[in-house]
Amino acid sequence: MDIFTLIIWISTLVFLGISIAKDKVKTKQALKMALGMGKGMAGSIFSIIFAIGLILTLIPPAKIAEFLSTQSVLLATVGGALLGTITLVPAFIAFPLVGTLIHAGVSVVPSVAFLTTLTMVGVVTLPLENKAFGAKFTAVRNGLSFIFAIAIALAMGVMI
Amino acid sequence: MTMIKKIKENLFLLIVALAYIIMFIVKPAMGVESVKSSGYYIKEMLMIMPVIFILTALLDMWVPKEKIIQYLGKSAKAKGIFLSFVVGSISAGPVYAAFPMCIMLHKKGASIRNVVIILSSWAVIKIPMLLNEAKFLGLKFMATRWILTVISIIVFSWIAEKMIKDEDLPGEVLTQDGLHVNRDACMACTLCERNYPELFMMENKKAQVKSYETLDMNKLDNAIRACPVKAISYNENKEMKICTTLK
Repeated sequence: MDIFTLIIWISTLVFLGISIAKDKVKTKQALKMALGMGKGMAGSIFSIIFAIGLILTLIPPAKIAEFLSTQSVLLATVGGALLGTITLVPAFIAFPLVGTLIHAGVSVVPSVAFLTTLTMVGVVTLPLENKAFGAKFTAVRNGLSFIFAIAIALAMGVMI
Repeated sequence: MTMIKKIKENLFLLIVALAYIIMFIVKPAMGVESVKSSGYYIKEMLMIMPVIFILTALLDMWVPKEKIIQYLGKSAKAKGIFLSFVVGSISAGPVYAAFPMCIMLHKKGASIRNVVIILSSWAVIKIPMLLNEAKFLGLKFMATRWILTVISIIVFSWIAEKMIKDEDLPGEVLTQDGLHVNRDACMACTLCERNYPELFMMENKKAQVKSYETLDMNKLDNAIRACPVKAISYNENKEMKICTTLK
């Protein structure tokens, strides 16, 4: 567990303690509400997780690295952004992977496009985002994120 | 009819299940590997989701709407933008962990722009991730990408706010007459039923308003406040009318 997760846990437990001391009924209601939220999201979350596992097997990180390093910069950038959109590689794999690529002399533009869309745009989380925020919000946020991820990548290419 | 609706609601789950079945028939080894790599994400999810749900519910209970509007609402301007970046940056866990928190904040008055900022910074520039990036890609790389990302988020959250209205988000049906349950937002937590069993019932895993003649405003108020997604709305000024959106 990283330090931030730990801090969130500790502060929530402290908060919970204060809440119990102040109003037991309200706290009970809040916990019920939390449970309700969990139940409501559980199905979607498990679908997301198993979809990620599936995609990770079908498009392994090594294949992504190969694609980013062998294609032309333009194709690799657009492809990298798309790959980042459909996959969800954990950060502790993605950063070392991209690190190796850049040290090996691969252009930073495709790598950054991949890294940014990887986290900001998500195909697998679309159904849940849609359920939570509606179709318009989901389309606008993901669309803008994709466009700006490519812009960030291009600017990185100039600056680094 | 109900069957079709059920399938529609769980379409993604069905697709994933189907993909696994095909995979296990065609390439069993790959199927096993997929399940194994899912294991890591289950662990990641279990570490953060319970606490996020509890924190969201507690904040919902204790932080008054006025405070959220003051700090994260439309008129919060730069203060709101800064705070949203802070909330997103000190977060942990995958981006979907931000969803329940953001729904709650929006329903309590946070602006679309600030919700987009929290979601995006939660996804890309949370501090644990930045530390990881600096370790493998160098401080300069991390800092440059951070600055560019922050600028991008400031710009596209502004565009997003111009394009999306508050009403576009589910759960914003406060203008409807009488008593209303937004079935798109309802997550079937059954809290309304427990708070006011004479008025609410569950049907097809969604809350439903029974026919009524008189309302116990106390109980109704409790039920409305207990709803985690604020799917119940009641407008007493207008003519009483039940709109249960039965399809």
